[in-house]
Amino acid sequence: MCAFKYNPAASREVYNLESGKYAQQCMQCGLCAVTCPARHLMDYTPRQLFKMLFAGEVDKVLKANTPWLCTSCCLCTVRCPRGIPIIDVMHSLKHYHFEKGTKAPVATLSKVFFDSMMKRGRVFELGMTNAYYMKSGFGAIKDAMKMQDVGMAMMKAKRLPLAPPKKVKGLGDVKKIYDKAVALAKEGH
Amino acid sequence: MAYSFYPGCSMEATGKAYGVSFEAINKALGLEAKDIPDWNCCGATVVANVIGDFPQQAITARNLALAEKNGAGDILVGCSSCFMNLAWVNERFKTEPEFAQKCNEALSAAGLQYNGTLRVRHLLDVLVNDIGLDEIKARTIKPLEGLKVACYSGCQTVRGVRRPDFDDVERPKVLGQIVEAMGATAVPFTHAARCCGGSQQFTNVNMIYDLTGDVLEAAHQAGADVIVTPCPMCHMNCDAYQKKINQVKGRNYDMPVFFITQLMGVAFDLKVKELGFEHNIVSPQKILKRFGL
Amino acid sequence: MAKKIGVYVCTGCGIGDALDIDKVTKVAEKEYKCPVVRTHAHLCGKEGVELIKKDLEGEEGVNAVIVAGCSGRVNTDVFNFGPSVMVERVNLREHVVWCHPANDEDTDMIAEDNMRMGIVKVQKSELPEPYIEEGIVKTILVVGGGLVGLTAALEAAAAGYKVVLIEKEASLGGWVAKQYKQVALRPPYDELRENDIQDIIKQVEDNPNITVYTSAKSEGISGGPGIFEVTINQNGNTVKEKVGAIVLATGAKPYDATKLAHLGFGRFQDVVTKDQFEEMASSGKITRPSDGKEVQSVTFIQCAGSRDPEHLPYCSAECCVGSLRQALYVKEQNPDATAVIIYKDLRAAGQYEFLYKKAQSEGVVFIKGEVVGVNEAGGQVSVEAEDVVRGETVQVDSDLVVLATGMVPTTAFGEEELTVEVKEGEEAEAAAAAADTIIRSDILNLQYRQGPELPSLKYGFPDSHFICFPYESRRTGIYPAGTVRAPMDVRAAIDDAAGAALKAIQCVELTAKGAAVHPRALDFSFPEFNLSRCTQCKRCTEECPFGAINEDEKTYPLPHPTRCRRCGTCMGACPERIISFKNYSVGMIGSMLKNIEVPEEFEEKPRILVFACENDAIPALDIAGINRLEYNPWIRIIPVRCLGSLNLIWIADAMSNGFDGVMLLGCKHGDDYQCHFVKGSELAEIRLSKISETLDRLRLESERVQMRQVSIMDYDQIPKILDEFAEKLEELGPNPMKDF
Ligand code: SF4
Ligand code: SF4
Ligand code: SF4
Ligand code: SF4
Ligand code: SF4
Ligand code: SF4
Repeated sequence: MCAFKYNPAASREVYNLESGKYAQQCMQCGLCAVTCPARHLMDYTPRQLFKMLFAGEVDKVLKANTPWLCTSCCLCTVRCPRGIPIIDVMHSLKHYHFEKGTKAPVATLSKVFFDSMMKRGRVFELGMTNAYYMKSGFGAIKDAMKMQDVGMAMMKAKRLPLAPPKKVKGLGDVKKIYDKAVALAKEGH
Repeated sequence: MAYSFYPGCSMEATGKAYGVSFEAINKALGLEAKDIPDWNCCGATVVANVIGDFPQQAITARNLALAEKNGAGDILVGCSSCFMNLAWVNERFKTEPEFAQKCNEALSAAGLQYNGTLRVRHLLDVLVNDIGLDEIKARTIKPLEGLKVACYSGCQTVRGVRRPDFDDVERPKVLGQIVEAMGATAVPFTHAARCCGGSQQFTNVNMIYDLTGDVLEAAHQAGADVIVTPCPMCHMNCDAYQKKINQVKGRNYDMPVFFITQLMGVAFDLKVKELGFEHNIVSPQKILKRFGL
Repeated sequence: MAKKIGVYVCTGCGIGDALDIDKVTKVAEKEYKCPVVRTHAHLCGKEGVELIKKDLEGEEGVNAVIVAGCSGRVNTDVFNFGPSVMVERVNLREHVVWCHPANDEDTDMIAEDNMRMGIVKVQKSELPEPYIEEGIVKTILVVGGGLVGLTAALEAAAAGYKVVLIEKEASLGGWVAKQYKQVALRPPYDELRENDIQDIIKQVEDNPNITVYTSAKSEGISGGPGIFEVTINQNGNTVKEKVGAIVLATGAKPYDATKLAHLGFGRFQDVVTKDQFEEMASSGKITRPSDGKEVQSVTFIQCAGSRDPEHLPYCSAECCVGSLRQALYVKEQNPDATAVIIYKDLRAAGQYEFLYKKAQSEGVVFIKGEVVGVNEAGGQVSVEAEDVVRGETVQVDSDLVVLATGMVPTTAFGEEELTVEVKEGEEAEAAAAAADTIIRSDILNLQYRQGPELPSLKYGFPDSHFICFPYESRRTGIYPAGTVRAPMDVRAAIDDAAGAALKAIQCVELTAKGAAVHPRALDFSFPEFNLSRCTQCKRCTEECPFGAINEDEKTYPLPHPTRCRRCGTCMGACPERIISFKNYSVGMIGSMLKNIEVPEEFEEKPRILVFACENDAIPALDIAGINRLEYNPWIRIIPVRCLGSLNLIWIADAMSNGFDGVMLLGCKHGDDYQCHFVKGSELAEIRLSKISETLDRLRLESERVQMRQVSIMDYDQIPKILDEFAEKLEELGPNPMKDF
């Protein structure tokens, strides 16, 4: 009989992420699982994800869509009896997936958002949307066509300005802060 | 009373109606909210995915530092997502000395520094605690009698700082109090602090259909005439996606969605032109007509 | 001194409105010729109490007071006029006007009968004189020098008592002394702390009030509370010490791991017990027994032998926290090492939650499930478990497996015997009920007729009287504390030590005054034996639930009053009726029931006698009254100290006096007994089974006498129980002996 083998050591990498350590304190009560509004779309609930980490199934954790479906609604976080900042753990997992080169749509969106933000210091929503579709390829554009009506309505209601926002004067400062923060983050948490 | 106002990116775009009507209320109530000079984007809920929490929080903290330097007063935020970022970073500054120190180290790269002297306040908090319900009542020229309102506070509004702050994290009541102060009826609404699906419109649109669909259904079941919210994301999902949800889910909602500032404008009898109703997608006319607008 | 009875009838609390008070006072004045009879509208008030005091001090010279009003369970301090004044309370409130209709002839009759019984009771009682032994000592003996024993010794010494402590090992400290680190008892709760047992030992050794005997054991304990004489054998030398009370703190032993082969013990070298693991940690390095290599991974198996019907059915209470502590040792030695805990339920309640969280934060992995197999695989020990959270069988390979073995009380080791020889024949059932299990664990070696150790209830733990109070045992003045009493962790054990020390102090203080201890604390009466008529039947010596009665050389009963709890079980047992208390006797209760007026048959007013235990049944009846629950008016209630004091003659008397039925209301018995005197209600039930034969012989239906178990919480059942019995009696018709 070949039973599933626990290999907790394999998850150390994840626990060492920015907010990864909190996942260790999960007591598997399941409150987050019944709380999460996106649970029906998730491969695994947060609880299952943390249990997988205990067992050392890092590959499965890396493939899970769970963090990407987390909307940061914070409901699980205020409810978790262990006080685990689940939303922060999700952020750390997403960042981790991102660094590992995930193709998750939200990752692409996050990237174009970040680029847009770093270009002017503020986000240009229409430009960012276009960039997202450009980056995501044919499938996404097909999806976008289906959503055309929503987009048109937004345009008509003047909610998607065609011109980008003004550049922040201190954009250089934003970049400096960013660079320094990234360097500090690398030093460890 | 004076505030350092953080408008956030959406008040100039998808949440335009919020930006416009906020300005009207700002004037009417004498809030003296002035933009933080040269504020920058807080990164919403997505930038951390690319760069990690700490760098995003450092970038957000630039706004806190600028506001402190400018000295205009507490930071007032309307957008719930921005509120969550700013208020949480502020909270960390106050409760985690190590974080504060590290973040200041990052800020110092731009010659900035934040001492944690400010409070970050959501608009609802300011309305109910600084302006006060009595004042709102007194200002009400056109009581919104008979108007049944689903008060959709939204998730990040009440859970931005995670711990209970100015409202209950599960069953918010502040928005309802404001609405009732203006003479309307806040209907019992189960989804007041539920998530609308956030910014998943492009990436997982089914989530918007499901979650916002639930919110609309709950408002409908509660017999609401209108949904009122202080959150641009909630507003966009309920308003701009309503028709789509009707198609996809075979529903038939015709539920106008107002920003709280728009509704206040109506009750305070401000110029309707200044309330940004042209940016609403589900027609607000049937509501406005009831109050002679 | 001749009794001069003053009767004070209170008309407050609705009594005056509901009763024909004249009838009640007339009973006292006319029938019993009480010299002073008064009524007052509010006796418990200042004026009412003054009224009584005036008669006590003034020329009336009253020296026995009967207060007819509220229950004797309330206002006890108000109606206390010092030790030289006998006070009896006649219940007219809870048992009469609050549970029967107002202004009703039948209600008045209850009040009159209660008054009659009260007066007769006083007439038949004497003021008890305290029994004070010569040469009472207040020294406290602590048996066992582990954490609990040491703490109990320090607590008692701090309260100003001398302590004698005996420990069988050469050094003090017990199980805790072998621990590497200890759990925190105060914040921060998530840190382990250095073992401070040596400091505690030093405090004990330096304390001038504490005499320590190591390498010592008790060879014999004779006497009783206040006058125990202990023979201590220290390394072959005998010393005698006199002590007043005893704290038993001999702790527990680990469950025998050789019985846990299914968990790999004995089959693989790298499967060890938690105590072996603790020793490794203390020695500085945790290594594999097989090859001496430092461990990289350790798996802890919880409930090893506990919560397992094949082994120890109970939870050992300490091992969950113990494994949290030990898993942290693994992490301390090497933060990269893996520690896995396989558990059924993690019982780390209260502040231990912080320790649990800490272990998690350090990376300890928890698997909820049942171990199904332990094998060897590639030089490691491989544990297979049903992981209930994953819903599948999982495998954990590690360098070392630690079994969190449970605890067995030190009192559980030894030959078992019964306190009473159960012979075939008529008396077998009573004997079996009276019999306690004694395990000859060679710890106390009591010189008691009922055996040398504390009786045990279950699993070898000495029966600690949990219903009434922890630390109580069935031997007065001996208080088990810590893991010998029940499985517990270090925190609970420390509390236990203090609690038992305080019980021991209470005991010596009360004994010095000549008073009873819990549950009849401050009762000064005690059983007196008229031995000239004793037939040496031994019932009293066998049935006393507290082993208070030894036998003398001529096999006559030899009572030890300081061991006695004043329950009256011996009085109920004695066929010769020669055991009595100054204020409680077979004759007294007999007279009370004979003074109840039993109407003739044609009046169609049946009478039902209820003997109700003062500990639960009487409070339940009081609460029924407080809740205004109405019940049958033919009931007459006589409170008894314990149903164990029920003497069968009372039932015979009741029947021949024309009562239509008798009901006994007493506490629950059995394994989870609630009887405050352990076995009283059970013994009463057995005695009752015997009387049914007699009744049958008299052609009286045995259903006329019944027993019910009630607890204080069953007050709402009272009307139903009594009314149903009354109905049953109605079916049977009147007692045919009524008119004789
Ligand atoms: S609510 Fe918290 S403790 Fe419970 S399963 Fe979710 S993360 Fe774990
Ligand atoms: S914060 Fe994310 S994981 Fe938690 S309930 Fe909301 S959507 Fe689900
Ligand atoms: S409490 Fe007792 S003594 Fe006081 S008024 Fe009531 S019945 Fe009388
Ligand atoms: S304390 Fe824990 S390990 Fe010990 S028997 Fe109880 S549940 Fe099992
Ligand atoms: S009164 Fe009770 S404790 Fe005392 S000797 Fe009799 S049976 Fe034993
Ligand atoms: S029960 Fe009575 S007769 Fe029997 S031994 Fe005891 S005192 Fe003697």
